Parts: sequence; C-alpha cells; structure tokens
Amino acid sequence: MEVKKPDAGAAAKTVSRNPKAGTIVLPNTTWTPADPEAYQTQQVAIDHLKELEFADKGDNGRWGALDVVPTTADNLLDYLRANSLWPLLSGLACCAMEMMSAATVVNDMDRFNMFPFRASPRQADVLIVAGTLTTKMAGPLIRLWEQMPEPKWCVAMGDCTCSGGRYKRSYSTVEGIDRIMPVDVYVPGCPPRPEGLIYGMLKLQQLVLERRGQWKDRKVGPTVPDGV
Amino acid sequence: MLTTLDGRLGDRLVVPAEAMGDTIELVVRPRDLTDVMRTLRDDGALRFELLADLCGVDTGLTMQVVYHLWSPLSADWVRVIADGLSRDDPRVPSVVQLWPGAEWAEREAYDMFGIEFEGNRDLRRIYMPPDYLSFPLRKDFALADDASRGTGAGIRHAEQPVAPAEVRLAPVIRSSAGAGAVLGADGELLALAASATDEAPAVDSGEEPA
Amino acid sequence: MTTPREQVRSLDDPEVMVQTPGTIYDTIPPLTPRTEREAEFYDVGDGEMLVNLGPQHPSTHGVLRVVLKIDGEKIVDLDPVMGYLHRGVEKICEHGDWHHAISNTDPLEYAASMFSESLPVLSAERLLELEVPRRAEYIRVLAWELNRISSHALFIGWLALDLGGITPILYGFGERDEIVEMLASLTGQKLLFNYMRIGGVNGDLNHDFLSRLGDWMSRAGARINDQATLMNENEIFVNRTKGLGVVSREMALQYGMSGPPLRATGVPYDVRRAHPYSVYPELEFDIPVRSDGDSYARYLLHVDEIKQSLRIIDQVLHQMPDGPVMAKLPRLLRVPPGRAFAALESPRGQYAVYAVSDGSDQPFRFRIHDPSFFNLQAVVPLTRGHLLADIMAIMASLDPIMGGIDK
Repeated sequence: MEVKKPDAGAAAKTVSRNPKAGTIVLPNTTWTPADPEAYQTQQVAIDHLKELEFADKGDNGRWGALDVVPTTADNLLDYLRANSLWPLLSGLACCAMEMMSAATVVNDMDRFNMFPFRASPRQADVLIVAGTLTTKMAGPLIRLWEQMPEPKWCVAMGDCTCSGGRYKRSYSTVEGIDRIMPVDVYVPGCPPRPEGLIYGMLKLQQLVLERRGQWKDRKVGPTVPDGV
Repeated sequence: MLTTLDGRLGDRLVVPAEAMGDTIELVVRPRDLTDVMRTLRDDGALRFELLADLCGVDTGLTMQVVYHLWSPLSADWVRVIADGLSRDDPRVPSVVQLWPGAEWAEREAYDMFGIEFEGNRDLRRIYMPPDYLSFPLRKDFALADDASRGTGAGIRHAEQPVAPAEVRLAPVIRSSAGAGAVLGADGELLALAASATDEAPAVDSGEEPA
Repeated sequence: MTTPREQVRSLDDPEVMVQTPGTIYDTIPPLTPRTEREAEFYDVGDGEMLVNLGPQHPSTHGVLRVVLKIDGEKIVDLDPVMGYLHRGVEKICEHGDWHHAISNTDPLEYAASMFSESLPVLSAERLLELEVPRRAEYIRVLAWELNRISSHALFIGWLALDLGGITPILYGFGERDEIVEMLASLTGQKLLFNYMRIGGVNGDLNHDFLSRLGDWMSRAGARINDQATLMNENEIFVNRTKGLGVVSREMALQYGMSGPPLRATGVPYDVRRAHPYSVYPELEFDIPVRSDGDSYARYLLHVDEIKQSLRIIDQVLHQMPDGPVMAKLPRLLRVPPGRAFAALESPRGQYAVYAVSDGSDQPFRFRIHDPSFFNLQAVVPLTRGHLLADIMAIMASLDPIMGGIDK
C-alpha cells in the first residue's frame, strides 16, 4: 500500500520545537487522510483533543446545551439527530456480546440516548454491524440497510466487519462490510471493548454534527487504492 | 465391552475392534452400516442409545463417515468409522431412522463433503447458500483460490449481477476435478474447467471402493 | 476490491429484482423444492401462511432464520435455516497450527470461550499423551466454572428477555460483566480469552484477579438468590414456561441432546462424571437432574448449576496446589498421528472434538461437535402445535448460541 509522504510544508507545520524548554510540542492535528475526497470535505483533521472538549460549544460544558442558540435550523436538526441515535439490533456474533454489554448497566449507552435498540429497521438510525458478516447473511444485511430510512449511518464494529479480521482467508465471509455498504465509523478490536464502541459512537456523533456522514454524499468503500 | 462388541459384530467389522484410550474404534463397510448401528443401539448388552457425533472425514484417498456413540453401560465411547467411500460419489446409508437427530449432522456432512446419505429426506445444504457450487471441507478445495467459484468472492448481485439460470442449473459438483468440470452421463470427466486451477484432477471413474 | 457507488444496485431497482430473485435472499417458498421435506413443508394448505422469523430479530441468540408455517396464531410446522454465521472455522483450523486452533475455536462459543478453546487443547493432549501440571488443571477448572456461571447468568437474562422481561437481562449482564472483568485481569481479554494452551494455561493467577474473585465470591451467592427469586415464582414467567416444550427421555436420546436439556428429562449424563477429565474426579459436586423436561425445569436446572459451580470454585481455591502452569513443549509441535475424541461439559451441553492428526504440525481434520446444534434440532418437533409466542420461549430455553451452531 503506497503511503503518500506529507510534503515538507505539512511536516514543518506538524512539529514545532520549543527551544527554550527543549520539548517537542505537537499541535492538535494528528492525522490527515491520503485521499482528500474520501470524506467529501476540504480538510479533515481529526482533532483528538478538540473533540473531547465539549466545553468548546459554550461556556458551561454542557453537550448540546439549549442555551447555545443554533444559527440555522439545520444545526438544530443535527443536534437532535446526534443526541438520539437509535441503533438497530443487528448483532451477528461475538461483537454483539460487547455491544449488549455496552448497552447495559456497567457501560451505559443510554447516557448518550442510544439505548432503544430498535428491532425494526424502519425505526433505526444507526446500523451497528457487530460480528462476522458471511456471504449468506450479506443479502439480508443489505436488505436491512436499504430498509432503514435516511438519514442513516453505519458503524463497523469489530475486526471482522472492518476488514475480515481473523476470517480473512475463509471461504464464506465478506472481508469487511465496506465491500457492500458504506461505513461511517470503524471500530477495530476483537472484540472491541464496550468503551471502544462508545468512543466510536461519540465519533459518530461528531460526524453527524459536522455533516460528514450523510448517506447521499458518501462514497462506498475505504480509501485503499485499486490494485492493493 | 471390547469382547462383547467383537462377539456381537465380529463378522461385520473390517478390522477387529480396537481400544484407544477411552474409545473403542470399529471400522465397517458402508453397506453394513445400518445393521451395525441397529445392533449397537438395540442390543441389550450394548445399548448405545446416544449419538454423540456424526461427521465426515476426507482422507485424500477415500471419504469416511465417523459416528460416536455413548452407552449407559460402558464408560467408553464407541467410534464407528464407515470407511471406503469413494471421493467421487460418496454414498452411505442414513441413520436418521435410528436417530432423528442425525438429520442436521448428515446435512452438514453433505454440505461440507458432498456425501450423500441415502434415506435422509432433507439432504440440502445447511451452512452454505443454496446456490453454492463446491464442498468446502474436501481436501481439493483450496482456501482463497477455489472459493472464487462460489459466492466467497463478494456478493454477486452487488458487484456483478448474474442471471440465476446459470447458477441454479449447474450440477452439484461431485467430482474432485473441481468446480466447472464437465461431467458425462455416467459421471466420467469430459473436460476440466476452462480456467483450470492448479489442482490435479483425479479421474478415477472405474475405481472400486476399498 | 471496493465497490464504486455507481455499481451498487438497490434491491428496489426492478431490474435487479428480476435478474436476481433468490440469489440474494431465499424466496419463500423456494422456486423449486430441493428435497422431500422441503416440498412437504412448502406445500401451504388452506388458511396457512409462511412467515419468516429472522435472521435479524430481537432475540439475541444470533442469526438464525426460522420459516414458520402458521395457521392464525398456531405454528403448524417450522424450518430453521442456518449458516448465516458460518465462518469456516474447521477449514481454517486445518490450515493452521495446533496452537492456532486455540484462538480459531475461541469465537465458537462466544459466551463461554474457555470451553471452545479447550477443544484443541484436550485433543492434542490426548494424542500427545501429555501430562498437564496440577496447578494448571486447577486453574483450568476455575476458568471453566467461572465461564459457566457467566454463561448461565446470560441464559437467564436472555430467557426472560425473549419472554418480554427487561430487568433480568440487566442483572445478567451486570453479573457477566463483573466475572468477565475478572477474567480480563487474568487473561487480558474480556471475551475471546485465548487462555488455554496445550500443556497448561497461558499465565498464572495474579493478585488483581484473586482480589476481584474474593470480592465477587463474597457477594455471588446472595446475588444469585436475588436473581432467582425475581423469576422463580413470577407468575407470568411460570405460566409461560411451565409445561412448554416438554422433552421426553427417549426424544432427548434420539436427538443426541446433551447438557441441561438432557438432564431436565431425568438422564443424569454429565461429561464431568461420565467421562471425567482434568481434576473433576477430585472435586465434590452434584449433578442437578430434573424430570419434568419442560422449559421451566431447564431454567431451574441452570440456577442449580450455578450453585454447584460456586461450590466447585470454592473447593478449587482451597485445594489449589503450587507448581508450574504449563508443560514444556517444543515450539514446533508435531502431534503424533492418530484419532482422538475429547469431550467436555460446557454450559450448553457436551462440547466435543474429533481430531485426526497425520503426524504434522497441522490438524488433518478438526471436527467440532457443538451441543447447541443437536439441541436446536429438537425445536422442530417441540414447537409444532404451539402458539407463535411460544417459539421464543422454547428456543431460548434450549440455550442456542449461533457461533457454535454455524461454526
């Protein structure tokens, strides 16, 4: 897989040295994707520190606080959507155990208003594909995805859904669900810890707010170039 | 228990019963299988009532079907190996009449090896999709090569739509010559697949089962 | 192999539906029945209807599809369709090492991984005739019993959830999370532990694990009693499970059932006593047996087994010997040629493996016998004639896990 080396200008911006203290100070930006069109935005920089500072939205740190007046109705819709993402119950295999664990008492997804796991795809927003996808199940899964009304997002939970994982050489699995459906958030792990899934869902909330996850504007597939 | 088994079944065993660890192993011919299993289950001194396992084995030269049984009268397992099935047309009588629970296990052996169980009313694929062409656990099924003939290379409908006619009418592959091989009326090999993979075809249409 | 957006075709596209009926999704009824039973099943009579249950449904057992032939609310016949989670584990095991088989068989029983991991371990040890250090054996029993308790706690939760009760699943997951965090401090993983090794276990007990275990043990008995009293005499639960899905002794033996569904019919068959392995002969515990054979009896049996497992853990902690936790083995492990059948008692029944070795470092045939596969077959005769709401109660009480059924 060819890795595009960042140009010298970018390199100069990422690292700065503080000669006085002798330490290297890294700014917030830690990663830029190789293909800038992958996420349909001009510049994508995952700000690991910025996203954790919910206080950035206002001066009282409340997430989605109502005293922050949205400038357009779209922003309000984004807040509403982000704060009530209802997942579809689509646990396939072992990752479903960790998804259920993330939804129950110890790690509580209900804090983020994500508890009602809808049984019907018509009522769900997020499809958390948790578990290995086999070729036989791929048809029903696509059917589920297409039954979900827009706006909808997809979270690939676990190694098997991200890339095939430990079943990469099996004859009956689909190596990564992004072969057949668009994925917004990849949560790697075998299985990922429930905290990891919750982190992935928070990332999804960030995507929703920044309108990076809209179904219509998204390409299917990862950013792996052809021939790889 | 070993002597009882030898006594009751002696003439139908291919080799004398062998004890290995906590298992007594019996090898039978496929045509004697039903008698042997019925004796094992119904005989008062044996009473092997619980079918613990049923599986197929592909040894590369032959196919086998292996049964494991449990009896309340003995602390040992009994393993019955129906040996000598040909790899091209493996057939064995079904034990579904004796143990209805064997139905799905025989379906699985059919799905994975192509072994036909005569007497099973429901011999269809259980794990693979119904239009799958190969038998995955056979020794001539190579991972990541041969799988491209089946639906393992991605979802056909999403990547290249294929009319169902050519999928459904294609014969189920019985031959170890691989998927896509052209078989004649008697099952003899007429031609390999156009894009032959690197497996050696075994054109053994006239071989007797051992 | 990414799919460009233009080539992804929607199922609502009429052209796609005409071209590919049935390759995506089995149509009900199938276009041509393939077997006698299929023809008989899909011959829909007057007033009957074919309804699909699954593969995605709120029951949490996994991806199982059941085609129901119903007459109003009554189920006339059913046809379970499996394979939606078939990952080819047996084939992958044949292409890897004996050691790789340990982590390959992990995801089979993902609610109780220690049991499925032990299959390659026990079979290789039989073929090698290897002696495992006693401390390792005791740690194995400890891991097995802890996993049994967490699996049974989940079973109780899922049984209640399938009947509509939301509270017991939260109790069950709370219990399971605590046990599994304990095992995470021992093995490093919450779910697919990869802890068993041929010749022992991966690592010794550590202080964190033992302190958590002590804390949990002091509360476990009372908590299990709480959970049980929540459901044991709950009128709705009892009415919905008592007398439902009655398995007779003959039927259980004919279907090859094992584990709680078999013991609930009165057959005292437990692999730990019938074919003892590890250090179970030295431990004192009872085999709970009930004779009713219905779903309620199976539920009560699971609760009894939790109590017996607590008893075993107590003895193990008192009798734990010192010593190494793993036997010395060469890095490149060549297992002598032979055939071995090793069985152990998992929460769902008799988990067994038939391993054939050809003398090399890869298994020649690694057949995994999962108890849920045989137990689930019984759901077909058991559910005929019952109502639509009963199928979940019956299926949940047989405790299936699709990872093992589909391999």
